[in-house]
Amino acid sequence: MVTEEKKTELLAKLRNAVIQYDEDTAKEAAQEALNVGMEANDAIFNGLVSGMVEVGKMFEAQEYFVPELLMCADALYAGLDILKPHVKQLDLGVKGSVVIGTVEGDVHDIGKNIVKMMFDVAGFTVYDLGRDVPLDKFVQEQLRTDSDLVCLSAMMTTTMTGMKKVIDDLRSRNPNVKIMIGGAPVSQDVADKYGADGYAKDATNALKDAINMIESLKKMKDEVEAKKAK
Amino acid sequence: MKTSLKRELLDHGATVVGIADLRGYLSGEISHLDRAVSIGVDRKLNEDTLSLLMILQKRAVRFLKARGHRTLAIPPDSDRKKDTFISKLYSLFNHKMAATSAGLGWIGKNGLLISPRYGPRLSLVTVLTDARLRPDAPIERCLCGECMLCIEHCPSKAITGSEWSRSSPFVELVKLNTCRAHKATKRATDNKPNCGLCINICPYGRRNSDVKNAEYLVRNKIFIPA
Repeated sequence: MVTEEKKTELLAKLRNAVIQYDEDTAKEAAQEALNVGMEANDAIFNGLVSGMVEVGKMFEAQEYFVPELLMCADALYAGLDILKPHVKQLDLGVKGSVVIGTVEGDVHDIGKNIVKMMFDVAGFTVYDLGRDVPLDKFVQEQLRTDSDLVCLSAMMTTTMTGMKKVIDDLRSRNPNVKIMIGGAPVSQDVADKYGADGYAKDATNALKDAINMIESLKKMKDEVEAKKAK
Repeated sequence: MKTSLKRELLDHGATVVGIADLRGYLSGEISHLDRAVSIGVDRKLNEDTLSLLMILQKRAVRFLKARGHRTLAIPPDSDRKKDTFISKLYSLFNHKMAATSAGLGWIGKNGLLISPRYGPRLSLVTVLTDARLRPDAPIERCLCGECMLCIEHCPSKAITGSEWSRSSPFVELVKLNTCRAHKATKRATDNKPNCGLCINICPYGRRNSDVKNAEYLVRNKIFIPA
C-alpha cells in the first residue's frame, strides 16, 4: 500500500510537471504512480488536472501565454497516455459518448482539441470530426453513433451562425440529445437563442472552456443521478 | 550565465552556439520569448545528428528552467511531430533566422545557412527564452562573394543568384518548386530523394585541401577564416 507521504509527493510531482510543461517528468511521475500502486484516477484528477487548473489561473493572470499553455497541455497528455489504460471506470460517473467538431468554414481547433482532451480524461468515447466540418456531418454522426452529447465549436462570428442550423436539425431528428457550444464569439445569450443545452464560457481561453466543461459534466452527472433516484 | 550555457552545450557536442536578440522578429504568440539560443551541429562530425540535437536542446531547456526562465524548444525541421498542441506554433518560427541573428552565419545563395567555418553543413535547433542573455552580433548580409559554384552545379538550375540580407530576408534565392520537382524525379528514378549538390560543392567548410578548390577560393576572393 502506498503511504500518504509518497502519494502527496507524487501528486505534487505530477502537478508541477504540468505547470512546468515538463513532458519527461510527467511521464516519469505517471509511471512511478502506477508502480507504487496509486489509483490512476487519483493521479489524473488530483495530479495532472489540478496542475492544469493552476495553469488556467496563470494564463488568466497573463503570467503564461499561448505557447506555455500548449506545452502544459502536451505535458498533461504525456502523463495521461501512461495513466489512462489503468483508469477504473471514470470518476465522474458519466458514461457516454460525444460527437465534437469545429463547424463548417472554421479551421480554429486548438480550443476544440483541449475540450476533447478533457472528455478523454473523463472517460467519454469521443467521435472527433475535426475542423471545418460540414453541418450535415454532425447530424449524421450523432445518428450513426447514437451519442448523448454533441459539442460544436466556432471561433468566428461568421461561422457561429452555422451552429443554429445544426442545433435545429439535431432537435428535429433527436429531441433527447444534449448540445453544448463554445468558442470566442459564443455567449450564454447565443446559447439560449440557438437552443443549446450547455455553453462553455470564454473560449479565447480554451483551457477555461475545458474546466467549465468538466463542471458541466458534473452537473450532468448530478442530473442523471437525480433521475435515477426518482 | 551566457558563457556557462555556451560552455555546457559546447562541452556536450554542439559545434557552434550563438545567442540572438529577436525583438521585433517574432510573431505575437511567441514574442515574449525574444532571446534565442541557436545551436548548430556539424553533420560531418556526427553520426546521429538528430539525436544529438535533441539532447542539446533538452540540456539548454534544463539549464534555463533551473534558473527560473521560460523556454520554448523548437525541434529540428527534420523531426517535427505533428500530434502535439505546441507543434501548431512551430511554423511561426525559422531556425535560420535565429542562426543569422545569433551570428552563426549568413544565408547563402543556395538558401542555406552558411557558417564561415562549417559551411552549409550545420543542422540547427533553437531554444527560445525570456532569459536576458547578452546577444551576439548578427550577420547582416550574404558573404558568399563572387562564388557561383552552387549556381553552376545545381542540376535543376533552381538557384536564382540573388543575395540575402537581414533587411530583405524574403528575396527569392532558390526556386523551390523547381528544386522540389528535381528531387521528386530523382526519388522516382534512383530512389535517392536528396540532391544536396549545393551543399557538397560549397567551398566554405570543405575540409579537403584540394588545390583546385584553393585556387578557386583565391581567384574568387573568398575569405575563409582559419
